[in-house]
Amino acid sequence: MSTEGSTILKIEQLNAGYGAIAAIKGISLQVPKGKVVSIIGANGAGKSTLLKAISGLNADVSGRIVFKDQDILRLPADRIVGLGLSHVAEGRQIFASMTVADNIELGAYLFHRRRKRQVIADGKETVYGMFPILAKRATQIAGTLSGGEQQMLAIARALMARPALLLLDEPSMGLAPLIVRDIFRTIKQLNSTGTTILLVEQNARAALQIADYAYVLETGCIVLQGPARQLLDDPKIKAAYLGVG
Amino acid sequence: MESFAFSHQLLQFMVTGLTVGAIYAMVAIGFNIIYNVTEVLNLAQGEFVMLGGLVMVFIHVSLGLPLVIAFAATVLVVTVVGVLLDRLAIRPVRQPTVMALIIATVAASMIIKGGAMLIWGKNPYDLPAFSGREPIVVGGLVLQSQYLWVIGFLVIIAIALALFFNRTILGKAMRACADNGDAARLVGINVRQMVLLAFGVSAAIGAVAGITLTPIALMDYDRGAMLAIKGFAAAILGGLGSFPGAILGGVILGLIESFGAGFLMSGYKDAYALIVLLLVLFVRPSGILGSMAVARFKRF
Repeated sequence: MSTEGSTILKIEQLNAGYGAIAAIKGISLQVPKGKVVSIIGANGAGKSTLLKAISGLNADVSGRIVFKDQDILRLPADRIVGLGLSHVAEGRQIFASMTVADNIELGAYLFHRRRKRQVIADGKETVYGMFPILAKRATQIAGTLSGGEQQMLAIARALMARPALLLLDEPSMGLAPLIVRDIFRTIKQLNSTGTTILLVEQNARAALQIADYAYVLETGCIVLQGPARQLLDDPKIKAAYLGVG
Repeated sequence: MESFAFSHQLLQFMVTGLTVGAIYAMVAIGFNIIYNVTEVLNLAQGEFVMLGGLVMVFIHVSLGLPLVIAFAATVLVVTVVGVLLDRLAIRPVRQPTVMALIIATVAASMIIKGGAMLIWGKNPYDLPAFSGREPIVVGGLVLQSQYLWVIGFLVIIAIALALFFNRTILGKAMRACADNGDAARLVGINVRQMVLLAFGVSAAIGAVAGITLTPIALMDYDRGAMLAIKGFAAAILGGLGSFPGAILGGVILGLIESFGAGFLMSGYKDAYALIVLLLVLFVRPSGILGSMAVARFKRF
């Protein structure tokens, strides 16, 4: 069994980009098991590229990404999710033309292929319990949901794969403050039931408030890191990201 | 008396149009299955139909195997050809842009056509009708029973596909690839596997079209391209990517051809499909039932 303080994700000297453009330049970071780690940074800092490199969506990468003692740098995305790493991508990326129930069903695609009926049934019970609104909307076409509901659906779908580590890309994007508060409460709750979270956010205050540890990303490099509480009080952070001072 | 004869003629044209339209619909469905997963137009789709007919001739007539067994064996053989098409022509492409892949399917169609010519020569082949050539007479209307087989198989294919795409996890996974490829990969769907499956299923449907068509219209090595064009026109007319659209487009196109040949000029039969194709592209590129298709079609 892993002990308190073990690392679930370790990234060393990661470079990632799109052809000639380097969006991530030699980043190293660690995500301890059971924690919430936030990465904050402005638009274009390379946050989404970093998550895509981890989950296998961006193949233009070099360096090392170790998840649960396995180097996953060159693994395709559809293999990585089977190891227990799920990615809720930027802009929700739900299956907009399909029903809410089908979206959730597909979240457990790998369990379907392995014929783990019980795991799927348990997963549905959990996510519908966590997001009762999705149960009400089960037969609705996902593209017709509100932004907040779509975000919940994207998270629910990712949870159906039973991830040990959940990557969340801008879950607050385009949502009303009240909904953002709900989503962040859900993230905190998920973490308390044992899911490790790596959260990427422009909404620095919300991200730092629920995180244990945080990194600040600027133009593809980590410029600052530390316990989240400490960063909340850091004058530089306050000025650049929290809109204070 | 004359109006009686005229209305009979109308009905006759209609039945013929529906039958031909059912074949076009099957080809259009084949286009859509592959297009939805890959955004590629498989221009070798018509070769599956041609192969279906000729392989059936070989197994059923030359080898003399019974109809049902020959039918199943033919579908299997053509499905394997579809799978090989993906493995040998699509997957190895280094820079898999949509345009490069479409050109790969054109090359593949020429190879398949050439191969068929070497095996079967240039002569057309006939196939016995499934339930004999004795026409059925319904209220003065003379029907070839094979027409009913063609339409019946379209209905079976439509129902089977509806069940597959809406009830099975594999079918839903294929729809997921079409809806959002990245998201599909993030839930663990192996997109390459789905592409392979799409080619296999499309080939199988093409084979059914060829097997059922041959007793009506004969089959030779050179028929694939025209069938692909007609099927493509049907798919565009109905809305590229839409299955109900494919059936609607196929049937409308079949009727236009049948009535056009009957009342206007039969010599221009093949031109009607192209005229329809052009009109749709000018007036309503999304087709009858397509909506998103327009935006996606503009990519190339």
